[in-house]
This record gives sequence, structure tokens and C-alpha cells, in this order.
Amino acid sequence: MTSEYMVQLKNITKKFGKDTAVNELNLDVKVGEFLTLLGPSGCGKTTTLRMIAGFEKPTEGEVWIDEKQVAKIEPYKREVNTVFQSYSLFPHMNVFENIAFGLKMKKTGKDEVEERVRNALKLVQLEDYVNRKPKQLSGGQQQRIAIARAIVNNPKVLLLDEPLGALDLKLRKQMQLELKHLQQSLGITFIYVTHDQEEALTMSDRIVVMNEGKIEQVGLPHEIYEKPVSKFVADFIGETNIFECVVSEFKGDYAYLDIKGVTVVTPKNDTLQLDESVYMSIRPEKAKVTLTKTQDTLLSGTFKEKIYVGSITKIIIELPNGREMVVNEVEDDLIGIKSGNEVYVSWQPEDSVVFKG
Amino acid sequence: MRPKTKKILFVFTTLVFMFFYIPIIILMAFSFNDSKVGTVWTGFTFKWYGSLFSNEAIINSVTNSLIIAVVTTLIATVFGTLAALAIHRYNFPGKQAINFLFYIPVVIPDIIVAVALLALYGWLDVTLGIATVFPGHVAITISYVMLVVIARMAGLDASLEEAAKDLGANEWQTFWKITFPLIFPGVLAGALLAFTISLDEFVISYFTTGPGSDTLPVLVYSMVRLGVSPEINALSTIMVLLIVIMVFATGRKMSVSK
Repeated sequence: MTSEYMVQLKNITKKFGKDTAVNELNLDVKVGEFLTLLGPSGCGKTTTLRMIAGFEKPTEGEVWIDEKQVAKIEPYKREVNTVFQSYSLFPHMNVFENIAFGLKMKKTGKDEVEERVRNALKLVQLEDYVNRKPKQLSGGQQQRIAIARAIVNNPKVLLLDEPLGALDLKLRKQMQLELKHLQQSLGITFIYVTHDQEEALTMSDRIVVMNEGKIEQVGLPHEIYEKPVSKFVADFIGETNIFECVVSEFKGDYAYLDIKGVTVVTPKNDTLQLDESVYMSIRPEKAKVTLTKTQDTLLSGTFKEKIYVGSITKIIIELPNGREMVVNEVEDDLIGIKSGNEVYVSWQPEDSVVFKG
Repeated sequence: MRPKTKKILFVFTTLVFMFFYIPIIILMAFSFNDSKVGTVWTGFTFKWYGSLFSNEAIINSVTNSLIIAVVTTLIATVFGTLAALAIHRYNFPGKQAINFLFYIPVVIPDIIVAVALLALYGWLDVTLGIATVFPGHVAITISYVMLVVIARMAGLDASLEEAAKDLGANEWQTFWKITFPLIFPGVLAGALLAFTISLDEFVISYFTTGPGSDTLPVLVYSMVRLGVSPEINALSTIMVLLIVIMVFATGRKMSVSK
């Protein structure tokens, strides 16, 4: 391997009639990495994946897989395999025939097919199911067979299109970890499409956040979560409080932001300008609510309600300007608090994130 | 369900089935009747079956009908399936219109097809014979095949074909290993429908066939004008049995491939 990239998308655009699904997108996927395309439905993530698989041909741009330009190459000539959202197991074939399909297309010898199918089944822990028809398997089992059917071909890249979407929550969590471990042990490059941000954060080496056919941000999971570069990313990944504000003053290492009459502070950075309109985001779990003013207090507001969700308690506070803010507390210290009581909100200025639009 | 309702439903269902099957059963019974006049039972005999097989006109017409039905079925099944594939898979200008045009032959009265063909043959100065029967039969059966196959394809997950290509199968392999096995029950049902429609088609055959190449329904029609012959009863009995066997066989085949 000479290049460090397994898949490179160069300026690809895909139009369906008048609609642009993917717009001048550039992306480099490293060899052996687990990359997730994350975004809401209709953001172009599945179309991007389908262009790598070859089911869609880009209107413009180049698709490189392992240093070969494949934009116009048919899917059956590409060394990638796909795990489909609906599993797409062949209903008229049993488990063995399903998994062996790709190998037989490549005219692999009978003994080798046998051995590789067994190994693939072992990897997904379904060795005893060779003779079952897909209909006789549960959703989770079908999913494992679909994965086995793809990895048995030793693809250079495995493409996964929301493969866990149809499973229940508990099974999904379990499969997320299994897939992650499988990817690590096989060392195959995975490109994973999902709209579930938690899933993306759990599994990925890197995350590509997409919106309206474009990439909003590419980064490590913690970068995407902690340092979103746009309002869309901050809003889409996890829960957050976003405030529209104006830069009102610089003092020392900090910038003061005016949120319609309420002033907060954030670390200064080079791009901020005086009187500029920006957005500030603070995650609910980074903020703290107290009944008395402390030296860290940034805001005061009135308590509205508490929502107990198990691991945390969500506290909803109304700010003097009428906006609401959510704070997550692990331990609920606000015993006996009533709606309308005055409370104080604090956070470390370093935990806030500021971005433009 | 109330006992009374149950009883009424039972009686009603029985009556419907009697309505379906009693005439056929009577016809089959009289094929073993010794009397030449169909209405009185005089004794049991197999002689009509014997004379049936020595009746050259009947054997000849059965052969004609079978040749026409088999060839019609082959042509209609291949082209009906191809048309269904095209309509299902591709988008092209005028697709809706073409799809609609395929439905017309199903609802258009056979007599119109027959008269139109006869006029065409007259205009082209074609001598009528067994060959002139095929076009009419193919024209009416191809639409049935297409409709049945399209219905089957509607339930087919398009990502199955993509999955096959993803695993290295080219278009040809994808069709024969995935698409065809999955639509096969529809193709078989369409073929069976085409075969039975062609076999008992009367109007078009009557208009477009020539002297000496009568199909079975045409021959039966000309024979019964002189009164129902017990040989026809015998022939009908054989056909009913063959068709029952065929339906059972294909029914099994379809449930296996599902």
C-alpha cells in the first residue's frame, strides 16, 4: 500500500433531475479506519455511500478506491461490499448459499468456499445456521448473516448503510460494539452511514457530519461533540443550548457576549470581531445550577421544572430575556425547589463554543 | 358467529360449489354412459374413449390446439416477462402510455380482435390456416402474462439485485441467479394462464383459422350443433383430469419456490 487513503472522493456531485443530493463533496478515507457519515435523512449520506458502491454514478467528480478511479466502473467490478439497511438476503437461498454467493461469482474453489463461509459464520457466531432460510432467522441474525456475506469476500472497503436501523435498542447497542470489534480485528476500512449521532460517537474513528449534500465538519468523535464548528453540528450532535449573541467587549483572554440583555463570557479567539453576531453553545451537562450565587455564576434565571430521566435530572430554567435553557445534573441538589424560584447558572467559559452561523 | 349464520353460510357455500361442479360431474358421468342419447343412463362403458381416439378429426383438432397453446404460451411468456421487466425497471418517455396499452387487450372483447385480424388478413391476402391463429392468441395472452409478472415484481426488493451486483454478479448473472428465481412463480402463473386461455379460446380461433386446421373448441362447436356426442363428454373428462393434475403440480411448485 503506497497511499494512506483507501477511498477518495474528489469534488463529487450527484443530481437527481433538479435536486442536488450531493454537492461538490471532497473526502479522504484512511486505510483501516472506521469512518461514519452522519446526518439527517436527505443529507446525501446514503447517496455518497451508493456512489462508492457503484449503484449511483456521480454527475461530476471522481471516486478513487485504492488508487483507482472507479466513478464509471460497475458495482460488480469494485472491491467493496455493502451491508444493506434491509439486509437484502436472497430469500430463495439458505445461509450458506447467501454467504457463498460472492465467492462463487469469483469462481472460488469448492473447498475454499466451504472454509471461508465457515470462518465468516464463526466471526458472526452463527455456525449452526448454515441450512436455514433467511425467513427462519430473527432480525439480528439476518443482520449478522448480511455482515458475514459481505466480509467473506475480504473487501477493501465495507460499506454499511444504517445496518442496525431495524433492530431494537438493546440489540443495537450490542451490535455496535460487535461491529466495532470486528472492524478492529479484520482491519478492513469501514464506511458507515447513520442518522443516529450516539451510534456514530460510539463506533467511529472519525465522523463526517453532512447536511444538504455538503460536509459540515469532519473530525474525531470528541472534536465533533466538544468543538462543533457550526450551529448545525452543535444542534445535531447531542443536546445543547444555543444562543444567538453579539460580541460586546474584549477583556483579557475573554470575549463578552451579549444575549439580548444577558452577558456571558467565552474564551477569546482570533476570528471574533467586536459587534459581530455569533452563536454560542453550552452543553446541558457542562452547566451547573445553584440556589445561591457563586464566583462562577454567569447567569441568573427562574426555575421552571425538573424532569427525571433516570441517569440524570434535566432542569429547565427561564432566562430574564425569556429564553429557556436546559441543564443536566447527575445529582439533584435542588430539594424543595418550586417553579418561579430564582436560581443561578454557572459553567466554565472554556466549555462554551462559539461559531458563526 | 351465531350458529344460525354459520348454517346459512354453509348451505350457501355448498350451493355455490354445486353450481360450479354439478354440470361437470354430470358430463363426466355421461362419458361412461352406454346410450348414444346423452339424457338416459343405460349402462357403463368405455367405448366412447375408444372411439374418441380413433376419431381423426378430434385427434387432429386436439393436436392443433396443443400446438397453438404451447407456441402461444412460449411466445407470450417470454415477451410478457420481458415487457414486465422493462416496465418495472426502467423509466422512459411514454412509459405510462405503453403500460396502459398493455392493459387494453385484457378488457377488449375477443370478437373485436378476431374481426380486426380477419380484416387484416383479408387486406394482406393471407391464406387462413393454423399459422394465422397464433397472432390473435399471442396478442391477448401476452398482456395477462405481463400483468401477473408485474404483480410479482412489485413485491420484489430492488436492493436484492443491487446486493447481487455488489457481490460480483454481472447483469446476466444477477438476472438468472436472483431476479428470475424470485419472479418465477409469477412467470409460471402467467404461462399457465396463457396456456389455458389459448387452449379454450374460441372466437379468435373460429375467425382466423382455415379449413382443415380447426382447433378443439371450434370442432366441438361444429359437432354439438348436431347434438352433444358422448365422445365430446369423454374428451372433456380427459381434459378436466389433465387440468386438475396440472394445477396441483404448479401449485406445489409455486409453494416450494416461495
